[in-house]
Amino acid sequence: MDNTESKLRVRGARSKGVSRRDALALIGAAGAAAVASPALGQASRVNLSFWTFENPQQRPWLHKRVRQYMEKNPNVNVEFQWFTFADLGKKISVGYATGTAPDGFVSQDWLMPTWQAKGLIAPLDIQKLGYNSYKDFSDDFPEAFLAGATKDGKVYGFPTWFYGFLNYLNTKHFASVGLDPERDAPLSWEKFGEVAKKLTIKEGNRFVRQGFKFAMHAPQWTMVQFNPILVGAGGSWFDASGKCTINNAAGVKAMKLRASIAKEYGAEDPAESIATNPLPQMDWLKERASMFWCHPIPPPAIQSQNTAMASEHYYRPVQYAGIDGKPGISTTYGFNLVINARAPAEKQAALHDLYKFIMSDAEDCWNDTQPFPIARKSGWTNNPKVQSFPQIAEILKARDQGVFLPRTPVYNELADAVHRAVQRVMLNGADIQATLNEAAAEVDRATANARG
Amino acid sequence: MTMQAVSGPARVEGSEVAAAIPSGFSRRIRRWGLIFVAPTLLFLAIFKYGPMLWAIGLSFTSYDMVSQPQYIGLQNYRLLLENPVFRETLINTFVYVGASTAFMTMAGLGLALAINTRVPGARHCMTAIFLTNLMPIIAVCLVWRLLLHPYGLVNQLLAPLGVGRVDWLTNEATAMPAIVFVTVWRFAPYFMVVFLAALLALPDDYFEAAELDGAGVFRRFWHITLPLLMPTVFFVVVVSALLSARIFLMPFIMTGGGPGNATRVLSMLIYETGFSYMKMGQAAAISVVLFAIMLVFTTLQMRLFMRREQVYS
Repeated sequence: MDNTESKLRVRGARSKGVSRRDALALIGAAGAAAVASPALGQASRVNLSFWTFENPQQRPWLHKRVRQYMEKNPNVNVEFQWFTFADLGKKISVGYATGTAPDGFVSQDWLMPTWQAKGLIAPLDIQKLGYNSYKDFSDDFPEAFLAGATKDGKVYGFPTWFYGFLNYLNTKHFASVGLDPERDAPLSWEKFGEVAKKLTIKEGNRFVRQGFKFAMHAPQWTMVQFNPILVGAGGSWFDASGKCTINNAAGVKAMKLRASIAKEYGAEDPAESIATNPLPQMDWLKERASMFWCHPIPPPAIQSQNTAMASEHYYRPVQYAGIDGKPGISTTYGFNLVINARAPAEKQAALHDLYKFIMSDAEDCWNDTQPFPIARKSGWTNNPKVQSFPQIAEILKARDQGVFLPRTPVYNELADAVHRAVQRVMLNGADIQATLNEAAAEVDRATANARG
Repeated sequence: MTMQAVSGPARVEGSEVAAAIPSGFSRRIRRWGLIFVAPTLLFLAIFKYGPMLWAIGLSFTSYDMVSQPQYIGLQNYRLLLENPVFRETLINTFVYVGASTAFMTMAGLGLALAINTRVPGARHCMTAIFLTNLMPIIAVCLVWRLLLHPYGLVNQLLAPLGVGRVDWLTNEATAMPAIVFVTVWRFAPYFMVVFLAALLALPDDYFEAAELDGAGVFRRFWHITLPLLMPTVFFVVVVSALLSARIFLMPFIMTGGGPGNATRVLSMLIYETGFSYMKMGQAAAISVVLFAIMLVFTTLQMRLFMRREQVYS
């Protein structure tokens, strides 16, 4: 458009009663509309923040599902962040304190009571997650896990994975000392100690190979490994009134059993165990320990650390050793998808939709994250790919028969107190009863404090 | 502005220059001065003293980082006194700060004196020693954790000397000394440089005179070097004590506060209480206790050293 034409048009416009000012106003309005249009377009756009923990299998799969969801729903943007397994809970606590908590996150099973007690996570609408009723939902998950995900008839977490720990045997080590890994798999505590002793190799006071190794590097692992011993010995963490009972006769018995592998059978070096690697199963993977209690270990994790063990498959997960003639039980735990109670309604609705989508393809989940069992009962265990996974029956049995970690708002205080007690007993030869009395008193103080 | 105010008797008592400056101008200077320092004062108020006061206030509340803080008076302090873990941790902190400060000061001074002998290669040794101070603390902790492992290099080197296996980091008796050793290893070279700078600044006259009078090396050190170094010693003691009191990574990474509670220090307990147990009020109370201890310690040090300085001057 040249100047003449524009002048003519302006004149023409004026002749129709539109002033230059009107024209400028129109141009201004058009400009404003152009600037505002992206914002208007974003009015229906939902930005979500989502946090999870790092794991070589689980985190990438979750990330993949989130990306797939965003492709299907271009109006939803998910800012996906992850932290180390141990740090996630603390990061979320600080996030709530500073108003920067994510809209949704993966909560470790044992932290659910902490969030629930403070009203930090929102109850979920199970119909939006694809269940018709609370009964439908509760029937679809193991009872042990459901207790953490629900409260007072409300669902607070959408379960993802849920698994039990297993005793991983190095079958080559078994064979090297004349033990049959199937027949001699230790299913009683006495046999467990004897087998561990037989598998141990020492040079002077130096352990070349530990028959069994407890992880002693972190309170969480101390809890995971002590929990089934305590329950198996007939003990419990708390009584009905909420008083800590780890110092009763069953608790003392459990601690004696825990200590017996090192002190009675000489099959473990606790001073060395405390220096457990960040990957707690590393000594077992590197064949410096013959048995280790661990969550289901993914084949790629074994492959990355010990190609011979992976290719020749000289390992086998079995159930824990039982105590007093009872079958062995292990610790179970899992992870929930939860929603920040402070998230706006539209974000909560979007998160319901996202969570339903994430967990809608159980086969894909298994393919990418095997052998971590999915919490859901339906729609995946009959899959031939699942059925063909080595020792899948043992893995599922551990999940279904296991005992969950104590669910208490003072879980971290409890874990720290027990961790200190185990260290005192194992490393300093402290009196078991006195040490457990101290630990129980510590937990009771924390409970009283929490109750206000 | 009046001339009377300028030539008033009070002004005459001060410097003549001050008296010559009109009082209005002086006020303007002061006002502009305040304006210029205001950003710094504001920064300190908001980012330093504000949070400190807030932490002190928080120590009188129950605050879980989620709900609003609730005033509970001195209850947090009472709970701390009743808590054996806090009492043990407090003692650990005293032991750690005391031992680290003493050994850092002595090692720093010893190294500086050794370097100052001016034997060939001393300067190169200084550079080599100072390199430890450049290493990130986290790397130092991880390396020493491996070296002090029951099957680590330290035990392997000690074995030919007939020293049996020592569980350096997993035995209650050796864990704290091991952490103190690593702290001294990491930080003493910094103080070595401080001492060396002070030693080089000492006038030679005193030493020459003492040497002529027949004073030996030890007497020269005791009667000349050390008294003249007192201001530097004071600086090193205070700085190293404050550094040790705030240390977190060394025990956190090397022992996690264990075995049992043997190496847990107050900074670790503050972190655990605040971020793991979500008891910010109680964590603030512990930090106030730590602050009070350091304040008392620094004040005592100042008085002690200032008195000595007066004696020597």
